Amino acid sequence: MKHCERPTQLEETANAEAMTVFAEQTKQFNAHCKAVHHVEANLATLGNTAFHAALELSGRAIQANDGTKWQHGVDLMENTSICHRRTGADLEFGVIEYMPMKSGEAKNALMNSDHSVRELLKTFVRDERQLLGIWKNDIVEQVKEHLAEKYPNQDMSIVAGSFEIKLARAISEKSTLAQNHSRGMRI
Amino acid sequence: METTPTNEEQQPITAPPAPIAERLAYSVQESADMLGINYYTMYRLIQRQKIKTCRVLRGKLLVPRTELLQLLQTELR
Repeated sequence: MKHCERPTQLEETANAEAMTVFAEQTKQFNAHCKAVHHVEANLATLGNTAFHAALELSGRAIQANDGTKWQHGVDLMENTSICHRRTGADLEFGVIEYMPMKSGEAKNALMNSDHSVRELLKTFVRDERQLLGIWKNDIVEQVKEHLAEKYPNQDMSIVAGSFEIKLARAISEKSTLAQNHSRGMRI
Repeated sequence: METTPTNEEQQPITAPPAPIAERLAYSVQESADMLGINYYTMYRLIQRQKIKTCRVLRGKLLVPRTELLQLLQTELR
């Protein structure tokens, strides 16, 4: 069974090379994982801060791209914040992403809205975790494609596998099984 | 009598560069770079199904050019 074997020299070389090629992507991926973890770890605090900001009706005005008007409450991560607005007697909360674009235009994309800030945060975290799953799978497919082009007719599944483990570990923050499943590949 | 060469004589006329072939689809990273947005923003748009993607076999995600053009023209909600 190949899982018990040590990686070959070629696999080690391919792994090191792929890590260089995909350095920027994995860096951005890891940074986003940390940002999501930070939101998860501070869910109650962020919710309270957003709620108090809404009660005080404080915060700078933001117009979302759908035309709705909001006030900034609290930052969740880079360019992403919880905003609030009054709808009749109720308070409504929304997650808005500020998107500066190369064209010079900037969009304020309303991602989600809810009358409960707690539910809004739960939905946000769930969606961000799904996003990380899509992103992880896409990086792994890119790595596979890269390896197939660079090392034709070679089985480099262990290298792609080590990437997958590394990215999954960044999402879950669990590293216990990584070494066992990667046959000692430095990941 | 000596004549001053015109600009056309000094610099041979060259044909304008051929337009870069427009691809039908781009990777997520290429799309993000073209729009000037973060990679995670592109994946957010995909996760929220604001952008449709396709794949070659079971490979990496590809964003059709038409989706990028549509994104620039429409509201995000």
